[in-house]
Amino acid sequence: MRVMVLVKASKDSEAGIMPSEDLLTRMGSYNEELVKAGIMLAGDGLHPSAKGIRMRFSGSERAITDGPFAETKELLCGFWIWQVKSFYEAVEWLKRAPFDDGAEIELRRIFEMEDFGEALTPELREQEERIQAAAAKLAG
Amino acid sequence: MRFMVMVKATQDSEAGAPPTQELLEAMMAYNEELVKAGIMKGGDGLQPSSKGARVQFDGAKRAVVDGPFAETKELVAGYWLWECASLDEAIAWVKRCPNPMPGPSEIEIRPLFALADFGEIVTPETSAQWDRLKAEVGGQD
Repeated sequence: MRVMVLVKASKDSEAGIMPSEDLLTRMGSYNEELVKAGIMLAGDGLHPSAKGIRMRFSGSERAITDGPFAETKELLCGFWIWQVKSFYEAVEWLKRAPFDDGAEIELRRIFEMEDFGEALTPELREQEERIQAAAAKLAG
Repeated sequence: MRFMVMVKATQDSEAGAPPTQELLEAMMAYNEELVKAGIMKGGDGLQPSSKGARVQFDGAKRAVVDGPFAETKELVAGYWLWECASLDEAIAWVKRCPNPMPGPSEIEIRPLFALADFGEIVTPETSAQWDRLKAEVGGQD
């Protein structure tokens, strides 16, 4: 199964304060462990929300709000996509991550095709496989 | 530039309401356009937060809190990873997205860091490590 690991923003991350060299080194080593264990499929850091936008969909209306956004501790500042055998395995890996006191990291299960049931017709399944293969190719 | 495009949760998505076939078809057609344009490098839907957990870090302690989580409209229900020439291009693509939810919804676009953004704190060792990870995982620049 795949999970998404969501790293929440802090005042520092929202202020654009970069991680220390020490944290960057520890995170690099942790990522390397994840890759060696075949867990890590993707992972990135996000610029502060000041550089982002939100778009509200309502009927045919599309309203854009520029960042920054207020609710700092609910914002995202980084993520991973992991391939794990169980949700428990993901929790155990996450416990070993080099985060500081006060950090709260969220783990979420990713929908796989079989979760969509009958709405995913054979044609849609084929299309989804094509899309994911093409996206993976673009990701390199 | 790379972007993370996040679909925010709604009461429907948190309740585990499956998408209609009509929405699945519209979203699939949109995704196909995205890959044809060389924009989409990944994307997934997330199960409701009731099936997730949060881990809190405090010294050597790790506390696990099971979902669901309360602040529905701040939760993420799905995401894409895109490669676009600019934020404006990403915005133009999001405008064309089918409304991902049955009612009003919100999508957030956030640019991703590149290694160069970290500046001087990146040692040659970290840089080499990053290159190794990139070769294994792909997608990072």
